[in-house]
Amino acid sequence: MKYLVYVELKNGRPSGAALELVSAAKKAGADAAAVLAENGCEDAAAEAAKFASEVIILDGAALDPNGRPTEDYLTAALAKLASDEGADGVLLSAAPFNRNIAPRIASRMGAGCITDVIGLSAEDGSLIFTRPSYGGTVLEKQSVIGGKVVATVRSGSFDAPEEGAAAQPVHKTIAVDDADLRAKITEFIAEAGEVVNLEDADVIVSGGRGMGSEEGFKLVEELANELGGVVGASRPAIENGWIGRTHQVGQSGKIVTPKLYIACGISGAMQHVSGMMDSGYIVAINKDEDAPIFQIADVGIVGDVHKILPLMIDAVKAHKAQ
Amino acid sequence: MAYIISDEGKDLLKDVHDFCENEVKEQSKEFDLSGEWPQNIYDMAAEMQLGTLDVPEEFGGPGLSRIDHAAILEEMAKADAGFATSFMTNGLSLHPIEFGGTKEQLKSVYDVILKGGFGAFCLTEPNAGCDVSNGSTTAVKDGDDYIINGTKCFITNGPVADFFTVFAKTDKSAGAKGMSAFLIFKGTPGLSIGSHENKMGIRLSQTSDVILEDVRVPASAMLGKEGDGFKIAMKTLDIARTWCGIVAVGLAQRAIDEAASYVRTRVQFGKPLGRNEVIQFKLADMQMATEAARQLCAYSLTLMDRGEDYTVASATAKCKAGDAAMYCTTEAVQILGGYGFSRDYPVEKLMRDAKIFQLFEGTNEIQRLVVGRSVVGKC
Amino acid sequence: MEFLVCVKQVPDDSVEIHLNPETGTPDLSQADPEAGAFDTYAEELAVRFIEENGGSVTVVSAGTDDNKTCLKNSLAVGAGAAYLIADEGTDCLDSAQVADLLAAAAPKIEEQEGKKFDVILCGKESTDAIGGQVGALLAEKMNLPLVENAVEIKSTDSGISVKQETDTGFMMYEVSTPAVVTISKPDYDPRYPTIRSKMAARKAKIPTLTLSDLGISDLASEAAVSSLGFAEPKTRQAGIKINESEPEEAVKKAMDQMIADKAL
Repeated sequence: MKYLVYVELKNGRPSGAALELVSAAKKAGADAAAVLAENGCEDAAAEAAKFASEVIILDGAALDPNGRPTEDYLTAALAKLASDEGADGVLLSAAPFNRNIAPRIASRMGAGCITDVIGLSAEDGSLIFTRPSYGGTVLEKQSVIGGKVVATVRSGSFDAPEEGAAAQPVHKTIAVDDADLRAKITEFIAEAGEVVNLEDADVIVSGGRGMGSEEGFKLVEELANELGGVVGASRPAIENGWIGRTHQVGQSGKIVTPKLYIACGISGAMQHVSGMMDSGYIVAINKDEDAPIFQIADVGIVGDVHKILPLMIDAVKAHKAQ
Repeated sequence: MAYIISDEGKDLLKDVHDFCENEVKEQSKEFDLSGEWPQNIYDMAAEMQLGTLDVPEEFGGPGLSRIDHAAILEEMAKADAGFATSFMTNGLSLHPIEFGGTKEQLKSVYDVILKGGFGAFCLTEPNAGCDVSNGSTTAVKDGDDYIINGTKCFITNGPVADFFTVFAKTDKSAGAKGMSAFLIFKGTPGLSIGSHENKMGIRLSQTSDVILEDVRVPASAMLGKEGDGFKIAMKTLDIARTWCGIVAVGLAQRAIDEAASYVRTRVQFGKPLGRNEVIQFKLADMQMATEAARQLCAYSLTLMDRGEDYTVASATAKCKAGDAAMYCTTEAVQILGGYGFSRDYPVEKLMRDAKIFQLFEGTNEIQRLVVGRSVVGKC
Repeated sequence: MEFLVCVKQVPDDSVEIHLNPETGTPDLSQADPEAGAFDTYAEELAVRFIEENGGSVTVVSAGTDDNKTCLKNSLAVGAGAAYLIADEGTDCLDSAQVADLLAAAAPKIEEQEGKKFDVILCGKESTDAIGGQVGALLAEKMNLPLVENAVEIKSTDSGISVKQETDTGFMMYEVSTPAVVTISKPDYDPRYPTIRSKMAARKAKIPTLTLSDLGISDLASEAAVSSLGFAEPKTRQAGIKINESEPEEAVKKAMDQMIADKAL
């Protein structure tokens, strides 16, 4: 059995979430054929070749202004490639772009589509996928009818694969009809601010409503800097305009699994918690001692973030100096 | 327990609940501190047509029953009693026109309300609070016009009103029988807004002096005929007291809801506060007082529906509801302890909001006077 | 421009849903049904569009008679007509089945309304299952161009331009119509129904389309995914809670704990 595994790039390398797909395929009992199609993906393909049993580079992809294949192209190309390769499944990381195309690929393959997979098990010869619903408070187990599957998989749900394979990347060109490329891209408008890589961060410091203002939110950024981490935020902080939406952690933002997650002035609404629950170690600072965030925190500090954070920044500096 | 309302009312109530939860409840904190008029909130409320409930169907209103209207007003009061008071005051300012005005006068004010405007009821004066007939505002006949002079105080909606129902003496020597009522629109020369009250509570409503300096109005601005003023004012207050009670019940209910949600999660001595019978008894008494007041309001509305006398029922409802609001909000502060006293928690505001409901539209002493007289009868 | 907006009725997403320990299924008893949040954004976007440029908004929902509540709400916030797809088996559908029903319903509704839809909108995902599939599957089944996660639609000479929200910014598209577009959160909120529009909508007749109306004889065979049951997510054990009156003391304790746990 063979699954196609789509590998998108992050900073020129295979994204961590995409490599985890190789482990997911293995757990499903399938050989993983990694597929890359972005502009300049040769080095990444070579890296993917250490993990996957096959690596396919799609040449001549229709690209968007960011050098990524367009949704229309990738839909058509992956569906066709799956048929050419006799693949029973296509796995993609649960990035928004991939979530857009997964159902379309499934439709063309005659496969069942399952999004946001967080677990996978094989029972009595059939595959059971686990995915969250109701904002993450309930998990649902699903299987596809007919056996063929297209799934998007949340990062952090499977281990990083072990090196060991030595596949030779092969180039392929999939002819995609113009009739399949109907949504014409005219322009990309980048959002101000740096590229945020929450998914691969080891340390995330997040701020919420309790930070009070854009000024107050700077304390979150300062602590993140001291710890060499990335800045996250809950929805109220985004809605108040204290920080850009690319920093959002939670159901409608990024699902993250850092080693250390520090939640500052975040009460712990399910919408946020479902996006950071699987962090290695959680520290929460909140003035409300009954805040639900404390129920999942390894260390909870009841107190005013505006007093606690400056002291914590100093303490981290002192700790680093030692 | 609650008002027993129609399916239609339930549907509308849910929309109003969502609106109040999302757009009023949290936002009101800021305006409670500043005392500013939250124009944006009132604009949204106008867009939702929340003010139109006071307008009868034949004049373009939605035609809801009184009890459905009451449930919606209570919901608004739960979010913020000042917000609800601004709308309740529309009813108060409309009643004199309903009792004494012509169809044309009625249409003109209903149109204002339908567009999201406000009205103000101008009776109280510095030396005429409970003693209504002691007012010194005068209306002197001059040809076909009247010229009105005087100062009204504690006028809810004063700064935002588009029309004013003004009570003035047309015959100073005739006491209560010398009082007449007038409908005056904003922008009439000589009518101005005086100093704003910096109130203890219901700070999302605006209250000010209304000053009348040689305000010239045509005789057609009079509601009813000369000398009808006192009777119109009393009939207005009779009906308005029930609506005042309805707002007070909403405030009392909010205090219960806040206290109940606190005791469910607040753990002391190893268990949630809510498991203490002392706390349960407090909440039970709060609930019983509030529900009793609510049903008194409903009873008074039913009498109105049936065209029966509601003077005593309305006074009873307003008094018990005002007292319930004060009692429940005070107990809510007590239950939350130190947090209850903190401005970071919602209940101290409720307690400040509550006091007025024992004061305006006739103090609760006046209500007791009405009820007491009815019990004793002639002797 | 003629819009068809597909609406799913979901439990109120502000209520936390957990499993009923007796049935092992999600306990929805505390959550009132309402239209999915992203579906209401789609409705609002369409209504704003026609208020500015003319046209109409029709809504459709697949499910049970119960869905009329949320359809009536759609009528109260600007939709001109509403259709319900309900029949045996439509109470429990997977994404592929919903897309099938919608794809079959669209031409039927066009026939009854006497208009051709230019744009079919779906919320980008529902707030209960959060599958995010129906819009994409619908486009495939109807063989229409698709843009997902849109926050803005404008008309152009040849069709529409669509602003898609991405991870790092906004991708601008041009597509011919008819097209399917899924909607993310624009920077405005849906309007509230007014008292009068709600009262009028309550009285509106909502036609029901049955499977035979849609020419679907075997709905079950359209399913692509089966549900095998539910589970509670694993919970996390709370660690220590530091509640000190002096912030210095609190930070010291927290740092000591984090260092001891090798979290730093």
